[in-house]
Amino acid sequence: MIQSLADGILVGAIVSLGAIGLTMVMHMLRFANFSHAELLSIGAYSALVFDALFSGILPILANKIGPLSMTWALILSMFCAMGATGLSAVLIDRFVFKRIRDKGDELSMVFASFGVALIIRNVLGLIFGLKSQLYSNDIVFAVMVSSDPLLLIKPDQVFVLLAALLIMLVLQFVLSRTTLGYALRAVAENPSLAEVSGIRLSWVIALVWIIGGMLAAAAGVFYGLNNHINPVIGRDLVLPIFAATIVGGIGSVFGAVLGGFIVGISANMALLILPSGYSPAVPFMIILVLLLVRPNGLFGETQT
Amino acid sequence: MTFNKPIQKGAITAGVLLCLSSFATASAAADCSVKVGAVLPTSVDWGRPIAAVAQYAVDLANEAGGVTGCDVELILRDSQVDPKIGVDAAKALVDLDGVPLLLGAVSSGVSMPILTSVAVPSDVMMMSCCSSSTAFTELAKEGKSKGLFYRTFATSGVQAAVGAMVARDKGYKSVAILYKNDDWGQDISNLIAGDLEALGITVTASVALNDAQPSYRAEVTQALKGKPDALYLALYPTEGSAAVREWISLGGTQNMILANSLKSDEFRDNVGMQYLGNTTGTDTASPRTESASAFVDLYKAKFDSEPNGPGLSNSFDATMIALLAMHAAGKDASGSQIAAQVAVVTDPEGTPVSADAAGFAKATEILSGGGTVMYQGATGNVRFDGSGNVSAPAVTWTFTESGTQEASYITLEEVDEFMALVD
Repeated sequence: MIQSLADGILVGAIVSLGAIGLTMVMHMLRFANFSHAELLSIGAYSALVFDALFSGILPILANKIGPLSMTWALILSMFCAMGATGLSAVLIDRFVFKRIRDKGDELSMVFASFGVALIIRNVLGLIFGLKSQLYSNDIVFAVMVSSDPLLLIKPDQVFVLLAALLIMLVLQFVLSRTTLGYALRAVAENPSLAEVSGIRLSWVIALVWIIGGMLAAAAGVFYGLNNHINPVIGRDLVLPIFAATIVGGIGSVFGAVLGGFIVGISANMALLILPSGYSPAVPFMIILVLLLVRPNGLFGETQT
Repeated sequence: MTFNKPIQKGAITAGVLLCLSSFATASAAADCSVKVGAVLPTSVDWGRPIAAVAQYAVDLANEAGGVTGCDVELILRDSQVDPKIGVDAAKALVDLDGVPLLLGAVSSGVSMPILTSVAVPSDVMMMSCCSSSTAFTELAKEGKSKGLFYRTFATSGVQAAVGAMVARDKGYKSVAILYKNDDWGQDISNLIAGDLEALGITVTASVALNDAQPSYRAEVTQALKGKPDALYLALYPTEGSAAVREWISLGGTQNMILANSLKSDEFRDNVGMQYLGNTTGTDTASPRTESASAFVDLYKAKFDSEPNGPGLSNSFDATMIALLAMHAAGKDASGSQIAAQVAVVTDPEGTPVSADAAGFAKATEILSGGGTVMYQGATGNVRFDGSGNVSAPAVTWTFTESGTQEASYITLEEVDEFMALVD
């Protein structure tokens, strides 16, 4: 019970990071971006490349930090990967979504996002191969926090949770206390009015993609650290991330965080009552029930 | 849907051509002919050699004087690995050509509807080279297949039994099972759970893993609860390595028994050799008998390549045994009469006959005289159980730095003996 709760919180932290970016893009650009989870793959793989690079240049960086399987090289790589993924997100927008936004409607955007997802997934498969890869082949043993009730936690998981919370706090600060944040929120509320007030729309849209991409990259690296990296992690994570976004309410950063935790915890707790084969269905049951009660999600505003 | 049409058309043309070509080859010698139907996926790469080897077995039989003195005419139809098309093909063979014997199909999903909706209602015998689902065993046990179904492909039962054998030989008292949540995984996990319990080994948990899940932590925690001595894994490499890494990091036992699906470098590299010292894998093996290597030579002489594709030796034996049973049943026998004669062809007490033209001629002579024969074929001394299943020899293997190596070879007799023990 306690174990499932703890595991759920840790899985939830990763889903939350992905959901924040998705909810912002969905709110700002008003389309369901099914390629968002592929940004996690881009982040995870670029960190893999940077990690190999840094460990090669400065072998001292390849030493492990304390009880973690994380190395200094990987932390550096994570920041580089965040940059690279933010940039990729902007480029994808420039080359694909912007053109469709100018000509097509929201539905075309959704279809395009499916296409982009497939392309990214297959290009990654082409470059890195289809098999799973790991940042570190060592298996870090879990620490027994208590034996009755049994509670085992891996040091990596604690690190991931703390790092994810820190990133969320920084984001919260940026959104609520800086001019950039105000601009973002203004564009989300009413793009035309924001533009008249002197906010450059194209810059704000780029900013949203950068933030979304950076968070996704962090989530991808954290996921890879706890599980493994392969070209289909986007496919594996897209549904939980969407579930979290919808549960939280589109446009609400706080909702996305909470949604992520709800999805993570419920999928883990479900095993206590359901046979394991059915557990993937649980987040969707939650979505259905929640949407029946609150059609706009927990924190979503009524959209016009 | 419209995109499929040209492809279908092409496949049908190919099927018609194949049928025509089989007509052409049959117009030799003897003045009478017996018709045998085959429903095989000739429109897919791996299906064509299976059909070719069945045709080759028919040619050998004709060379040896045919069945009941008549030439055998194999009427081949394409199943396109599609149940609907397979059933149509089988129906046409039974209703239009009046065949009493159907060879095929390959996929269990195609064989099953053919058996239940064509073969059983029309009293036609079915001999499949390649269907492995245990659903056929269930059907046979309920008496719904009326003894008309045989197959020369071992079920997952062999692998499950060998897994249980490993657990017993290593002295494990309790085992947890992690399995892939599909037909194959569910099948094998139920089978091994039954086998282990028959041996007095406790199954502490049997946990299904779905494909493509972001994390297997919860499932692994579930399996860990009973603190088992060993872990049995019927998974594919990607989720297998993710689950095992979780399992080991949570302090689970490193005594592991693996199904053949985890015989992969990806699994070995991602888990790491240092944790795989106590891991034993299982797999089915080709028999190491003279008759099996004789088939390999025969195949190489005819097709100019090694019989490496799936189901080739099985398809050959399926055809040979079915034809011999047809001969034993006499002229114009019904499906159930032919099916009843399979035991006469695969009698362990019978005269051994080899799987070539000479052996076929010898067998038909003995069978005509009322004797019994023991068919020694490409998959060894084939022997069916009460449900029409065969077993197969098996191997256990371990991981090495460079790949895998065989740890032990378990002969067909040992497998049979063990399966009888746990059944």
